[in-house]
Amino acid sequence: MTAHRSLGIPSAPPAAATDAALLRAIAAGSEEAFEELRGRYAGAVARVCRTVAGSDREDCEQEVFARIWRKAALFDPARGSPAAWLLTVARRTALNVQSSQRTPLPVERDEDAGLVEAVDVDGFWLDAALARLPERERTVIELAYYDDLSEGEIAKRLRVPLGSVKSWKRRGLNRLAGLLAEEPA
Amino acid sequence: MTHDEAWRRLPDLLEDRDDAGLLAHVRACADCQRQLFLLGRVDRMLHERASAGRSTRKRSLVRALLGATAVAAAAAVLLVLFLPPQARTHRFMLRTASGRLVGEAKLAGSDARNISLSLTARSLPVRHGDVFVLWAGDERSSLQVGHFMVDRSGGCRVRFNLPDTHDWRRLWVTEPGRPTHVVART
Repeated sequence: MTAHRSLGIPSAPPAAATDAALLRAIAAGSEEAFEELRGRYAGAVARVCRTVAGSDREDCEQEVFARIWRKAALFDPARGSPAAWLLTVARRTALNVQSSQRTPLPVERDEDAGLVEAVDVDGFWLDAALARLPERERTVIELAYYDDLSEGEIAKRLRVPLGSVKSWKRRGLNRLAGLLAEEPA
Repeated sequence: MTHDEAWRRLPDLLEDRDDAGLLAHVRACADCQRQLFLLGRVDRMLHERASAGRSTRKRSLVRALLGATAVAAAAAVLLVLFLPPQARTHRFMLRTASGRLVGEAKLAGSDARNISLSLTARSLPVRHGDVFVLWAGDERSSLQVGHFMVDRSGGCRVRFNLPDTHDWRRLWVTEPGRPTHVVART
């Protein structure tokens, strides 16, 4: 197996690296780490851009990831979680895109942490974490929580045995808890 | 029950599928307790995300209705008047960090300004005293609901009123004077 020393976890493929490790690797110039992080957070960033920037959503998404590429070295794990930092970058970028007349808001200022609420960070992190689950586990969890379907209803809708639904839901939730455990407290 | 089997089934405890064998293992297993704590956080995040999405959809629906004809607008007003109280009838289970079920809280619309909260606790840990503090929180804020006293077995039935100004989604119990020491939570 190839050693990915730039991720800070020798022998760990990018898919297994933590968000913080990916940001460190991006700061060191790892395009592989950048693509992995973009894959994880594309949906979450899209949601922020759609909410804040509206019709300029696509420009916003591109600009967010361009900023992440340029500013990854500014991430300081002592000041917050990777999800909080990424959400801050996304919010500020979206606000700038929304109002190009406004004086651009720098993403690296100390007060950035105050731009996002803990609940927002949770939702942002959750979107990215769900994107890392196998599709069937993600689908079952989204149907159960977001569509409020019972396991029996999910089984009918997906035309799979009830036992499979139970199993995928358990595995998915345990996997999300495992990803949460990787987050700094 | 083996550790692997218990670990696989830990998410069942989020849905009140209490299993004596599973709970017995969790009580004795620090790894499972930590995983259950993390599962509880994930469960809460998913519920909050779902609730936020439903609120957005409800707002969109109301806007669409208000933009239609006068008759449709009247219908929208009726929806606004009658949907929220139904949506606010919630039942919450309170558990300790180890997953032990120690109480149940029901939130129901009381009047135009208040939400009625009835708490039934059982077997709350009374080693540090018989008075506890109940807290409620929404997405952005928290509120100390009030103090309550339990009997020797850690049980009680008590009612509170909450202001109908927030979408209360989280409840937790602490010891008095120690707001960060959570005894049980939803």
